[in-house]
Amino acid sequence: MRRIAPWAIAPIAALALAACNNAGGETGTPEPADQTLSAALSSDGEFDTLDEVITNAGLEAVLDGVGPYTVIAPVNAAFTGGDAAVDFTHAEMRAQGAELVRAHLLPGAVTREDLNAAIAHGGQAGASLRTMSDEVLTFTRDGDTIVVTADDGSTARLTGEEFLASNGVIQPIDGLLVAAGEPATQ
Amino acid sequence: MRKQALMMSALAVSLALPMAAMADAQGRGAGQGQDRAEDGGGRGNGNGNGGDRAERNQDRGNPGRGAGNDREDRPDVVVLDVTRGGDDANGRGRGQGRGNSGRDDSVDRAVVVVRDDDDFRDVLRDLERQSDSERRDAVREFESRLDGRDLRVERDGDGRDYIVLVRDDDRHVIDGCPPGLAWRNNGCLPPGQARRLERSHYENWLWDRRDDGFRYNYANGYVYQTRQDGGLAGWLPVLAGALGLNNVWPQQYHYEPVPQYYSRYYGLGDQYNYRYADGVVYGLDPQTDRIQQVTALLTGQPWTVGQRMPRGYDAYNVPHAYRSQYRDTPDSWYRYNDGYVYQVDPTTQLVQAVIQLLT
Repeated sequence: MRRIAPWAIAPIAALALAACNNAGGETGTPEPADQTLSAALSSDGEFDTLDEVITNAGLEAVLDGVGPYTVIAPVNAAFTGGDAAVDFTHAEMRAQGAELVRAHLLPGAVTREDLNAAIAHGGQAGASLRTMSDEVLTFTRDGDTIVVTADDGSTARLTGEEFLASNGVIQPIDGLLVAAGEPATQ
Repeated sequence: MRKQALMMSALAVSLALPMAAMADAQGRGAGQGQDRAEDGGGRGNGNGNGGDRAERNQDRGNPGRGAGNDREDRPDVVVLDVTRGGDDANGRGRGQGRGNSGRDDSVDRAVVVVRDDDDFRDVLRDLERQSDSERRDAVREFESRLDGRDLRVERDGDGRDYIVLVRDDDRHVIDGCPPGLAWRNNGCLPPGQARRLERSHYENWLWDRRDDGFRYNYANGYVYQTRQDGGLAGWLPVLAGALGLNNVWPQQYHYEPVPQYYSRYYGLGDQYNYRYADGVVYGLDPQTDRIQQVTALLTGQPWTVGQRMPRGYDAYNVPHAYRSQYRDTPDSWYRYNDGYVYQVDPTTQLVQAVIQLLT
């Protein structure tokens, strides 16, 4: 993932400040930015493809709304690697794009600190989190990296910095959490 | 039948419930509230058990029938029928007075209905006739209509009702072929279009991950459910496909009107008519029924007070604004889902309370 965008510096600074002040709770709750999830994804070039998929599927209002959601956000490269060379931004792929987005959305605001705590509590089994496509993602630790695995076996690694939006959290990942299935036969 | 059983289990209060509470709900009805009730809350007392609980439930209350209330004061939830511990089949308790602690006053089952629901208006009219036989007929009619609803009335730890939207297992698959498509060789598509489905690994895989004995193929805005022998079982319009922006809502497709609590939580105005289906809140043009907005996504995951927390909520996820108020402790976890925060016992994983996030 490329270096963090300038707009993201302020909330991270706020995060550090909040942690120092222990303002929000036992472990300190960082202050979210004013930007919504939709605005944040649009303004960071690392998520250009995901942002286009969201727009193509007509889901901007969801990520501009009350939420909150946690976006397990594939970076641009995640859409071009391996067998994933499918253009989810194409007009004929709107429904597929919407389903893809649902598979990468969690209810509520899950910070990296929350994930770390849940993984530590879960031990080897890791932490299970439900998506908006009614499936469960499993978060485990591989050294210093958090790995997320979908029910279908697809995996990705959390990468870069999280972003705390006004209506949720963005957690960047380096792959798609939907495996390419067998070619369809009607 | 399975769905009906599921819905009834949700609507029936199987936990022992103090009869006093139910009797109070039915006897006093809506007349004692201090604030306009939320969905499922009816107009109520707003006097929870202790300061914290009272704060959480300050604008909710027990359901009630509240005869004589004007339209503005009517409760949103009506207790349609109550089966009391020890009642026989013909002697269902009605809660005409406060319970007596010296006898078996537990409520085995309560059937509640949302008042402002078009599907049940005639049931409620029947209910108001008040004779026993007609009342029983109304209850039976209500129960017969529960099949396929995506709306549940749950009961919190204080005996107050609240509404949750859920996702039905079969997503309300519709029989036959979508409008404008004829049945052809066990499918709804011309051979050329059927072959086109094979182009992308993802086109079907995104839907075909469920282990329910069916296969799911996507084409032209719809997902087709097929049996293992290839026969078509039904079809579904899907988000951003047939249920995409500017498309007219498919007439045959099931939806729920968005309950008041969700309207308030998500800040829905009167610009659109809002409908809920399969985990999605849509905003429709009131004149044309065209989808103008995809407003919110929900897990549709049912949580029930007194039952185990659903799988998939291991991490703390409370919205930023509520983190200082509801943070995990050794005695209580807090988890957010679809507009509510749930309090969970960390040891037993049982859901202890539901918290509305409206101020």
